[in-house]
Amino acid sequence: MLWGLMAAKVVADKGNGALRSPVSWALLGLVIQRPSYGYELVQRFERTFADALDLSSLSQIYTALDTLHRRELIEEFAVDDEHQDHPHAVVRQPKPHYRATAEGVRHYEQWLVGQIREERRRSRLFARQLSVLPPRTAMGIVERCEQSCLEEAKNAHPAGEDGPPLADRLLCEEGRLAIEARLAWLEYARRELQAQVGERTASR
Amino acid sequence: MTLLELDRVSLRYRHGPHERVVLDDVSLQIERGELVAVWGMRRSGRSTLLRVAAGIEPPAAGIVRFAGRDLAASAGDELGGGIGYCRLDERGSEAREVLDELTVGQLARGVPQKSARELACATLQRVGASHCAARGVRELDGCEAVRVALARALVLEPSLLVIDEPTKGVDLLERDDILALLRSLADENIAVLMSSGEATALAGADRALSLSAGRLRGSHSPELAEVLPLRRRAGG
Repeated sequence: MLWGLMAAKVVADKGNGALRSPVSWALLGLVIQRPSYGYELVQRFERTFADALDLSSLSQIYTALDTLHRRELIEEFAVDDEHQDHPHAVVRQPKPHYRATAEGVRHYEQWLVGQIREERRRSRLFARQLSVLPPRTAMGIVERCEQSCLEEAKNAHPAGEDGPPLADRLLCEEGRLAIEARLAWLEYARRELQAQVGERTASR
Repeated sequence: MTLLELDRVSLRYRHGPHERVVLDDVSLQIERGELVAVWGMRRSGRSTLLRVAAGIEPPAAGIVRFAGRDLAASAGDELGGGIGYCRLDERGSEAREVLDELTVGQLARGVPQKSARELACATLQRVGASHCAARGVRELDGCEAVRVALARALVLEPSLLVIDEPTKGVDLLERDDILALLRSLADENIAVLMSSGEATALAGADRALSLSAGRLRGSHSPELAEVLPLRRRAGG
């Protein structure tokens, strides 16, 4: 716990406040996966996070790299250009390559675990925000959430025999099970709210 | 013409002084080639909805129409004809082989024995259960039992297939194969109406509906493609 607080303080001290951008964290994950240079990272980012994170422009990636570098979560290193010794080789400016620092890896792991807590916090917040609404209004919200879940559930196409790669199947199954739990919770919420509507009507 | 239509269907069960609303003013339309999945928790009325849709149980109020005909007036003629109701709890005769199970129903409809066996074999192959042909019905595992139940309904060449909880008791890794099979049947222009207590079984459906305390929620009518009027030819 103490270490966590200290580590968070370090990340905040080396920049302007805590690192909040999901793009920066996603990029740090890619650098941890494999050291890389800017353009390759842009391509890997698009392949890996296209359906999860929106980029306003590609320069966002370079800004995020700069931020991670400034906070010492990644570092530059030199890569020998294998074509440089060729007699007709054009002398180019070496591309800056990046790799994660030990601190970067620690922070990334800590942030990932924190995401689970963040999800729980959001769920708690949603439940409380729903409970302060009049029951009939809350039931309308529950129905709309349920529709959204049903839509998501039907769009999770079954894998079949020629299914997608393992990573995609695992991700898909995680999503389906999460929807399963959410639907069951929404049904519970509906029953509770219906009971409240019934009580209020009876007391009038 | 809509293949199946439930028009303001209601049903209540009475247990002594208690009355339980099982279906409450349910309206639903299903077209050919559509896969419609209904999700609901226990006692939500999902199995009853399917029995009513298949014409097995008449509604207390409202009308169920199949291909434009009132199912209550057709006295169950549609079952085994236009509507194939998959009974997953039907274990058949203990001694009878799967192939014989599939042949018997056809013989009763006057299909010659040779043709009946050929169609039974082709149908078992279609559902990926050829290896079950010579097995006893009670020797099948969960996934095989579903495939054979589907074959039993499909051999009668229905235009609507109704199946309650097709993934119940099916191994997790085989569940998606069953869902993909149902999807492929819909793609062959058979309407499929299925129910499940697991949201994971909604994958691949054209429409996913939910049933709670007998009330159906979701998109009750299929989204029809927008019909654009043809431009008149000049001088036409």
